Amino acid sequence: MATPEVSAVPPFLGHPQLTDEDNARSHDRSRVHHARSQDKRWHLLWLLVGPGILAMIGENDGPSMIAYASDGAQYGLGFFVPFLPLLFAMAFVVQEMAMRIGAVTHRGYGELVLQRYGKLWGWFGAGDLCVTNLVTLIAEFVAIRVGLAYFHLGPGVAVALGLALVVFTLRGSRYWHWERTVLGLAIFNGLFLVAAVLVKPHLGSLTAALSFTPFPHGSFNTLLLLLASTIGATVTPWMIFFQQSASADKGMTPSDVRHGRYDTALGAVLAGVFGVGALVAGAALLPHSGSGIQGFAGAGFPQALDRVAGGAAGTVFALGLIEAGALAILTISASTAYAAAECVGVAHSFNTSPRNAAVFYAANVGVALIAAVVILIPGAPLLSIALNANVLATVLLPVSLVFVLMLANDRGLMGRWANRRSTNVVGIAVAVFVAVCGAAYAIDSFLQVTGAIGS
Amino acid sequence: MSRVPVEQAGDPPVADLVADDTRSETRSSTVAADEYAVIMHLERDQLVAETFRPVARAQLSRPVRLSLLALRIVAVLLALMVIYTFIALLH
Repeated sequence: MATPEVSAVPPFLGHPQLTDEDNARSHDRSRVHHARSQDKRWHLLWLLVGPGILAMIGENDGPSMIAYASDGAQYGLGFFVPFLPLLFAMAFVVQEMAMRIGAVTHRGYGELVLQRYGKLWGWFGAGDLCVTNLVTLIAEFVAIRVGLAYFHLGPGVAVALGLALVVFTLRGSRYWHWERTVLGLAIFNGLFLVAAVLVKPHLGSLTAALSFTPFPHGSFNTLLLLLASTIGATVTPWMIFFQQSASADKGMTPSDVRHGRYDTALGAVLAGVFGVGALVAGAALLPHSGSGIQGFAGAGFPQALDRVAGGAAGTVFALGLIEAGALAILTISASTAYAAAECVGVAHSFNTSPRNAAVFYAANVGVALIAAVVILIPGAPLLSIALNANVLATVLLPVSLVFVLMLANDRGLMGRWANRRSTNVVGIAVAVFVAVCGAAYAIDSFLQVTGAIGS
Repeated sequence: MSRVPVEQAGDPPVADLVADDTRSETRSSTVAADEYAVIMHLERDQLVAETFRPVARAQLSRPVRLSLLALRIVAVLLALMVIYTFIALLH
């Protein structure tokens, strides 16, 4: 049972040593306490939203939005319009568990797995995360580069913009400042919805698409790739690491779990709507040989939209790609920083100064820097890296899902906040679905490449 | 009281975590009041000093450990397949 905030003063004589991190978090919590005691419901919601929205919209990143637009351009709206909200519902189930674990235990995913289940599993999880995050970050810089190319700006500008944002948001050594700055940037993910409106979609076709038909045509492997990459565009390991750690860093407690659910649900709805926006914008290219524009083929999408739906649609889509890439660079770098510092066992909070949390800040900037350097390498296979980022995340995700389920069911840690049976049924179904889709694509592609089966 | 079970062996008693004793007459009452206000808005187990105390290790049964190991091996193999496919398609 959670200790009520008003009576949280420990009954023992004397206090543990307080840090700047405690002071900063206490300041944030005092505002939450004040809003709750004054029954200011909207203000309380405003104070407690953040990690859920950032995790969900952060995953509406450059490769994901390109993947959605590519789905629309190649297959139209059928199947994907209802499939995307279904995936975000799955993401909500996973992220709600991560938020709840963070609020109840006040610990991030990385450190909790490491401490509860041993160093082997903790380091494996962190290793998975670092690999997938680095690959995804490269893809984010590519997305910014694609967006900027529409405005005739080069890769150097993409690198400078991405790195400057990371450094800028780290100023002040306060979680609250970081979160609010990044939330401000997340609003512009709505540009994809604007792009969808600008292409003037036929409302009847949108409604008709809700029937899950027509099913995507093409080979079995193509269908598996679509499923794996679209799942990887919606639920990924970094989201789990990020939301649990950010919830703890924000200072959420069990009394905030209800608002944490609102936050996560709001994030899922917004991300789903904006994702469908990218899909609808891409679908405008279907009657114009849209299937020829695949993935990151140059600055294909903004320019193609420019020709088909006008300059405004192309401009908005390009700006959306820049925003999606930039936002994801911030959230994915943060998740890497949390994981690295938690596993090393040192300070891991935006509420701590760089001097006192060197590993945390170095990992945050360092992983973005490495990704930035890669996109400047002449001849690097950037497009292929970007396209495989989501698939790799899907393949590695089931392990993270299993540990989230184990933690959320651990009554020793979670007490009465442990999973209910219904949550477990849905959570296990999500893990199995992700595992089957990822494994089927990986095995089928491998057998085709090695010549064991025909394509 | 912390809800999270922390490690028992080598667990420092609460007194060891105390930076300085608030009962001490030498302590400034203003500082004490400030620290009291800080703690008042945080749960005890939210304090940095508390979160750095590791939680107790879970006792996993042998079948569970083997299942986790199998899942991990499968995940690594699948990841290697994806990476191999990616490299092969580059050529």
